[in-house]
Amino acid sequence: MPRFLLFYRLLVRPLLREPLRTALTVLAIALGVAVVLAIELAGGAATGSFRSSMETLAGDNDLEVVAAGGVPESVVGTLDQLPFPLRVVPRMEDYAVVTESKQTLPLIGLDLLAEGAAYTGPQALATLRGNKNDDPQKGLRDLADPLSVYVGASLKRKVGDPLPLLINDQLKTYTVRGVYPDGGGNESAIVMDLAAAQRALNRFARVDRVLIKLPGREQLPQWQARLRAALPAGLEVRPQGTGTTENRRMLQAFRWNLRLLSYISLVVGAFLIYNTISVSVVRRRGEIGIVRALGASRASVLAAFIGEAATFGFIGALLGLPFGRVMASGAVKLMAITVEALYVSSRPGSIALSLSSVVLAFAIGVGVSIISAYAPAREAAQVSPVEAMARGRREYDVRVHKGRDLLIAVLLAVAAEVASYAPPVAGKPLFGYLAAFLLIASSAFAIPAFVDGVSRISAGALQRTLGVEALLASRSLRASLRRTSVLVGALSTAIAMMTSVGIMVGSFRQTVLLWMGDQLPADLYLRPAGDPAADRHPTISPDLAAAIAHLPGVAAIDRLRAYEITYDGLPATLASSDLQILRAYKNSDFFSGRPTEQVLHDLRGANAVVVSEPFTYKHHVRIGDRLQLSLGETQASFRIVDIYYDYSSERGNIIMDRNTMLKYLPDETPSNLAVYVAPGASVDAVRAEIVQAAAGRRILIFSNRNLRGEAIRIFDRTFAITYALEAVAIVVAVMGVAGALLALVIDRRRELGLLRFLGSSKQQIRKLILVEAALLGLLANVAGVLLGFAMSLVLIFVINKQSFGWTIRFHWPVAISLGALTGVYLATVVAGLYPAQVAVRLNPLEVVHDE
Amino acid sequence: MSILSLQSVTKEYVGDGQPVRALDGVTLEVNAGEFVALVGRSGCGKSTLLNLAGAMDFPTSGAVLLDGVATSTLDDARLTVLRREKVGFIFQSFQLLHTLTVFENVELPLLLAGKSGARAAAENRLATVELTGLGDRLPHQLSGGQMQRVAIARALIHSPAVLLADEPTGNLDSTTSAVILQLLQRLTREKNTATIMATHSLEAAALADAVVRLRDGKVEEIIRR
Repeated sequence: MPRFLLFYRLLVRPLLREPLRTALTVLAIALGVAVVLAIELAGGAATGSFRSSMETLAGDNDLEVVAAGGVPESVVGTLDQLPFPLRVVPRMEDYAVVTESKQTLPLIGLDLLAEGAAYTGPQALATLRGNKNDDPQKGLRDLADPLSVYVGASLKRKVGDPLPLLINDQLKTYTVRGVYPDGGGNESAIVMDLAAAQRALNRFARVDRVLIKLPGREQLPQWQARLRAALPAGLEVRPQGTGTTENRRMLQAFRWNLRLLSYISLVVGAFLIYNTISVSVVRRRGEIGIVRALGASRASVLAAFIGEAATFGFIGALLGLPFGRVMASGAVKLMAITVEALYVSSRPGSIALSLSSVVLAFAIGVGVSIISAYAPAREAAQVSPVEAMARGRREYDVRVHKGRDLLIAVLLAVAAEVASYAPPVAGKPLFGYLAAFLLIASSAFAIPAFVDGVSRISAGALQRTLGVEALLASRSLRASLRRTSVLVGALSTAIAMMTSVGIMVGSFRQTVLLWMGDQLPADLYLRPAGDPAADRHPTISPDLAAAIAHLPGVAAIDRLRAYEITYDGLPATLASSDLQILRAYKNSDFFSGRPTEQVLHDLRGANAVVVSEPFTYKHHVRIGDRLQLSLGETQASFRIVDIYYDYSSERGNIIMDRNTMLKYLPDETPSNLAVYVAPGASVDAVRAEIVQAAAGRRILIFSNRNLRGEAIRIFDRTFAITYALEAVAIVVAVMGVAGALLALVIDRRRELGLLRFLGSSKQQIRKLILVEAALLGLLANVAGVLLGFAMSLVLIFVINKQSFGWTIRFHWPVAISLGALTGVYLATVVAGLYPAQVAVRLNPLEVVHDE
Repeated sequence: MSILSLQSVTKEYVGDGQPVRALDGVTLEVNAGEFVALVGRSGCGKSTLLNLAGAMDFPTSGAVLLDGVATSTLDDARLTVLRREKVGFIFQSFQLLHTLTVFENVELPLLLAGKSGARAAAENRLATVELTGLGDRLPHQLSGGQMQRVAIARALIHSPAVLLADEPTGNLDSTTSAVILQLLQRLTREKNTATIMATHSLEAAALADAVVRLRDGKVEEIIRR
C-alpha cells in the first residue's frame, strides 16, 4: 500500500497535472491498440473465419465432388447406385444480383423436392404436403415453375413478392415462393430448384458440386479413394469445404501483410511511450536522486517508471478496445472489397470481440508500453543520487551517443540489406518483414546524428531567413537531441510508411496501367452486369456473342471463357482465348522474351498453356513444366510454354487456346467478349449496334479506355484500407508531436519567460514554437522520405514478390507523395498551435522567478 | 525629468483567494546615471518594484512612467517595444540560454528587436565587461562571475535607459561580487544609465547613489548620497 501511495504521489499526480499531454499519450496508445485490434477482428471476420459464399446452405456433409466446368449429372446416379448408404446432394452454384438493391447473392440450385423443406418455408411446405385449405398441387407447381425462388428472411421479402434478378446477362422477374430463416443474413441466398437453376444459368446436364454425407466420419481418406475409383478420372473427390480451406490459405498472405501494416501504428505509439517516459525521467531526475537518497532501491525506481508506462498502456488498451471494435466495422468492409476484387467471393463473418481479443489488446497496450519504457526506466534506475541532485537534468539531456548510434545504424542497414536477399519461409516473406523492421531501427539510430547535423548546418541559414526565432528553435531541438530524435523517429516512421506504401501502390498502379496497354488490345469489352469479383465468371449468351460477331462494323470477337479450378490445393482461374484473333492483335510481354507470335503458335490447338506470374510463385513451376489438370471428366497434362505478367488477380491464371478448352469442356458460352472494330468503322457506331443487338440482356460494354478506368477504380478501392492504416499512423504521430511540443513548452517555460524579459513579443514566442514544430516536421519528412524509399524497395521487390509474386516496376508517384507530405507537414505545424498558445499564455514573471 | 517615475504605486496580487498587497503607495524618482539600491527583507516588494519598473507588470493603482511614458496606457505590443528600447534586466541566476553561445546570448535583445549590427555591438559590450575572446563559448564553459558579466553585457547591448538588476551578486562569492558591483557602478556612470538594483548585500548598497529601504511594500526611507 505505501508503495502505491508513493507511486500515486510521485508519478500519477504529476501526470494528472498535465491532463492534455497525458491524454494525448494515452490516446496515441489507444489508437495503436485500436488499429491492431481492428485489423485482427476484421481480418478474423473477412478472411480468418472466411467462408466461401458457396458454402451457404451447404449443410454438414463429409465429401464433395467437383470438376472444372462442372460435374456431369450422371455422377449423381452413379453415386446413388453405389452399395453404400450415402446421402448425395447435387448443387448448382453461382451468383445473382438483386437489381433493386444491387446486392450480389449466392444463387444455389438444390433438389428442393428431395431436401427443400428447410428453404421453401412453412407455407410452401404446407402446400407441398397438401394443406386442406390450399390447392395440394400448388407446391409442386411452384417447384416446377422456373421463375420460383426461395429467399432468406434478411432479404425482407414475402411469399408472392416479385423479385427481379440478374443472372449472367439475363434480367428476369422471379417470384418469391418461400422465405427461410437465414441467421441474420449469414445464410442469405437465392435458392432455386436444381432444374430451374440450370435453366437460369444456361448450364444443362451438369451440376457445380455434389455433396456427400457418409454413413460415418471415420476413414475419410478411404472413403475418398473408394468414391474416386468409382468416378471418372477428371473428377475430384475431396472433403467438404476444401475450397474454403484453400481460400483461407490463399488469404493468409493478404491478412499477414495487413496485420504487419497495422503494427506500424503501434511502432509509432511505442516511440511516443519511449518519449513520454524519457521526458518523465528527465524531469524527475532531481526527484529520483532524492528518493534514492531517502532509501529507494534501483529496482523500485525501475518498477515505478515501468509501472507508469504500464498504466499508460492499460488505460490506452481500455480505450483502444471500443475504438478497435468500431474501427473493425469499417475495416471489415474495406477488407471484403479487397478480398472480392483480388481473391474470392466471400461473406465476412460477424465481428467477435472475444476474450482472446481483449487479452490481445491488453497484451499489446501494456506490453508495448513496458518494452518502450524499459530503456529510459533503466536509465532512471542507474541514476546516482548525488549526481542527480547536484546537476539536474540539463547535462543529462545532451547525453546522446551520436557516433556510436550512427555506427549501429549502418550495421542495421547492412543487416536489412542481407535479410532482403533471403528466401521466403513457408511462403511468408519473414525476412522481408525483418528487413523492413531493421530499416526502421537503423533509421531510429541514425536520427540523432541526422538531427544534429542538419540543425548545425542549417542554423545560420534559418536565422537569416526566418529570424532569431528559427535560431532559438533549431538550438532548442539540438539541445534536447534525445527528445527531438524520438519525435522525429516516430513521425518519420509514420511518414516512411506512408511514403513506402504510396510508392508501392503507385508503382503497382503504374505497372497495371502499362500492362493494360498490352493486355487490352480490343476496342470494346463486354461482360455481364453485376459486381465483378476475382472468382465470379458470369456468362454471356452464346447467341448474343454470335450476333455481335456478325455485326457489320465488327472485325473479330474473342470469346474469353474462365472457370474456377483448384490446382495443387489452391484456387486458380483456368481461362481460354481465341488465339487466332490474339495472333493478329495482341502484343504481350512473356518471361522468355520470345515474340508473342511464337508463344501463341506453341499454344494453338496443343495441350499447352501459359500461366500468370503469381501462379508460378504459388506453385513453383517453370517454363517447360507440365501441369496435370482435371477438366470435366478427364485429366490431362499440359506443358507450360511461357509465363506472362498478370495483375488482374492474385489467384494465378492458366490460359489455353479456346479450341483446346472446348475439346475438354464443350461449352461455348463465353464469360467475356473482346470486340475488334473493323478498320474504318466507328467504335461508337459499333457500340450502338451492340447495344441494339443486346436489347433485353444485361451486359456492360466498356471501351478500351473505360475498361482501364474501371480497372483502376477497382484497384484504388482495393487499396483503400492501406490508406486508412497510414492515416491512423500519421494521426498517432501528429498527436505525439502535439503532446511532445506541449512538454517542451512546459520544460522550457523559464527560457520562454526570459525571452519576454529580453524584449520578445508574444508573436515571437508563438513563432518560436511553430518554427520548432515546422523544423520537427521538416526533419521527420526528410528522414521519413529517405526511410520510406528504402522500405518501398523492400515492399516492392521482397515482400510483394514473396507474398504475391508480382513483378512491379518502380515508380515514384511524385505529385501524390508531395501532396501527402505537405499535408503531414501542415498537420505537424498545426499540432504546434496549441502548445504555442500555451507558451504565449505563460506569465514570464512567474516562470522566471519559479526557477 | 527623471527617467523612471513611480507615482503612488500599489500592486496587489490574489493569493489563495485573498488579496496580497506587494507594494503600497510607493513613490520613487530615478534619474539617468543614478545607481539606486533597493533593500529590505525577503517579500518586502523589491522584485515587484523591479517588474513594474521594467514594464513587465502593471500597477493596481498609481502610475509607472518610463522615460515619460505611462506603462498602464500601452498594449502588449507597445509595451514590448518600450521594454526592448528602454530596459535591460539582470537576474540573480544569470538566466543565460544554455543552447546559445556567449555572442548569441548577448546579441539576443537586438535580434529579437530585429536590429542589425548585433555581432559588432556584442563584441563591443563583451569588451566593456572584459570578456573579449570568450564569445564563442557556451555558458556552461564559464565561471559564475563570467556568466553574470555576460548577462550584464546582454542587458546593456541595446543601451537601455534603465538597468534593472535583481540580486545580481546573490549567486556569487564575495570577491566576484565586488568585481560585478564595481562594473555595474562604472557602467552606470559611463552609459548614463539609471540602474536599480535589488540586493540584500550591505556592500552592494554602499556603492549606490541612493538606497531605498522597503518594508511591507512601503518605502520606509530613501537615503541619497
